[in-house]
Amino acid sequence: MLQVHDLNFKARDRFLLKNIDLEIGQGELIAIVGPNGAGKSTLLSCIASEIKYNARNFTFKNKEIKNYTKTEIPLHRAKFSQHQSHEINLKNDEIVLMGRYPYFHNNPGTGDLEIVQSWMQKTETHHLTDRAYEQLSGGEKQRIHLARVFSQLENTIENKLLLLDEPLNNLDVAHQFKTLHLIKEFTQKQNTALVVLHDLNIASQFADRLILLNRGNIELFDKPEIVLTKERISRVYQYPCSITQHPVTQQSIILFG
Amino acid sequence: MKKKIAVYKITFFLLLIVALVTALYLGAYDFSQPMTEIISTYLHTGVHTPDSFVLIELRIPRILMAILTGAALAISGTSLQGLFKNPLASPDLIGITSGAVLFAALTIVFGSTVMHLLSPFFRYALLSIMAFLGALATMLFVYKMATSNGKTHILILLLSGVAITALTGAVTGFLTYISTEEELRNITFWSLGSLAGSNWWKVCLVFIVVAFGSIQLLRKGKILNALMLGEKEAAHLGFDIEKTKRQIIVISSLMVGSVVAFNGTIGFIGLVIPYILRFVFNSNYNILLPLSMLLGAVVLLVADTISRLVVIPAELPIGILTAIMGAPIFISILINYKRKL
Repeated sequence: MLQVHDLNFKARDRFLLKNIDLEIGQGELIAIVGPNGAGKSTLLSCIASEIKYNARNFTFKNKEIKNYTKTEIPLHRAKFSQHQSHEINLKNDEIVLMGRYPYFHNNPGTGDLEIVQSWMQKTETHHLTDRAYEQLSGGEKQRIHLARVFSQLENTIENKLLLLDEPLNNLDVAHQFKTLHLIKEFTQKQNTALVVLHDLNIASQFADRLILLNRGNIELFDKPEIVLTKERISRVYQYPCSITQHPVTQQSIILFG
Repeated sequence: MKKKIAVYKITFFLLLIVALVTALYLGAYDFSQPMTEIISTYLHTGVHTPDSFVLIELRIPRILMAILTGAALAISGTSLQGLFKNPLASPDLIGITSGAVLFAALTIVFGSTVMHLLSPFFRYALLSIMAFLGALATMLFVYKMATSNGKTHILILLLSGVAITALTGAVTGFLTYISTEEELRNITFWSLGSLAGSNWWKVCLVFIVVAFGSIQLLRKGKILNALMLGEKEAAHLGFDIEKTKRQIIVISSLMVGSVVAFNGTIGFIGLVIPYILRFVFNSNYNILLPLSMLLGAVVLLVADTISRLVVIPAELPIGILTAIMGAPIFISILINYKRKL
């Protein structure tokens, strides 16, 4: 599905990403974790073709990612950015409708409008339709954009790629879990998602595999229970931690301090 | 929502028809015969009576010019505001109009020998090409000045406009010193703005430019909306951002340039029209672009008709009227801004 070999990204003679190799299959939910400045957002930006990188090989569905046209790629790949615009002088459903822009010329079809409505319902933003965007809280704005990004990938194409940069910021606990369930639902349909997350426990609970980044290198890319060891996490984050068991689910959880 | 837009479109269109008919009948000259008769007599005989001359050679081209000018200025203003993501970015405030005036004035003064050799159509074409080049050069200058790392700083954009306008003022002032009397009359007419010089040649040229330009700009609604998300997000929706920027810059320069070449500086239309429409439709450019054309045409036609009527038999330069409308709106945009700071 996604194959990256020897990807490097340099900014002013400093490597922000070095020798990145990734093989990601369809239907996987991958969490990108690591301390501040490890290169999580940069890696996601590279995969989103937002910045110029060097790579020996970068294929998406067995096709060089550079060979996708500008109008073709939005149907296969969408990105949720970490920073959303604060000022958008539009109604909230018009903002979500932007996710359907690749699908219509001047006027949206009824199908497009239905998709908008259904994603606003799933992200619990339909009651915000008539409120001014500027007056929404950070978390509400974020959910509007999640609805937009999900609407963008609502089509019959198989094996789509969703990139999310810290989608849980500003969200309350309930919406954090609801959002992760939406992402999980998406990957269960043979789609792939790469998500930058800060909370290691949430990451290990939902992700199939974790990419642990440290200073621009992949420290380890494997299943959560293998990546999250006391010694490794303490070393990478440079902060003591211990691992214990969740009293209900019996999953291992990390406690810092 | 769709219904609401259709209602507005039809209302504006009807307003335009009403304004057009009113403008036909009102003026310093009163027709002695019904209009249909004047036209049919002229078409049969091919000889102008005073009535038919005023109607066919003066009034109708002027009305058409007002419609085209209003539409062109309003849609360019709306597109530029979308591109720069700021309601203050209108052709006159960022200096494009001044740039066009400068080049047109230079052409008139230094090109008078060449101009006399050309047939009217080419004379007007040369003038509008020069004005377009002036507009485009200014546009590129202020854009480069105000943009760093893909972000446009509105303050620098507006101040560059002030600088360009000052320069234009100085050069035009100098030109009035060295110009002959006929050239002088032409130049003064520009700084005030007037549709009085309209004729069929000019109308045809402006029509070609406005038709071509607005077809292009009317397609930009989705991308101007998407730009509000940010350039990266818009790119993820499949839009070619750089290409769109170039297109909007060139096309709005072309439209503003050709309009300025024939009618001089008619300020504030590009600022006022989108401002009014935003009250009803927020900033949805899919709706703003077509409606701004219609409303711009209505407003400028009404303003021109008023300018012909208030001081009969003389007329008031239309630039004065649009400035009276525009300045308070400019100030109210500034007040809004201040509240947000």
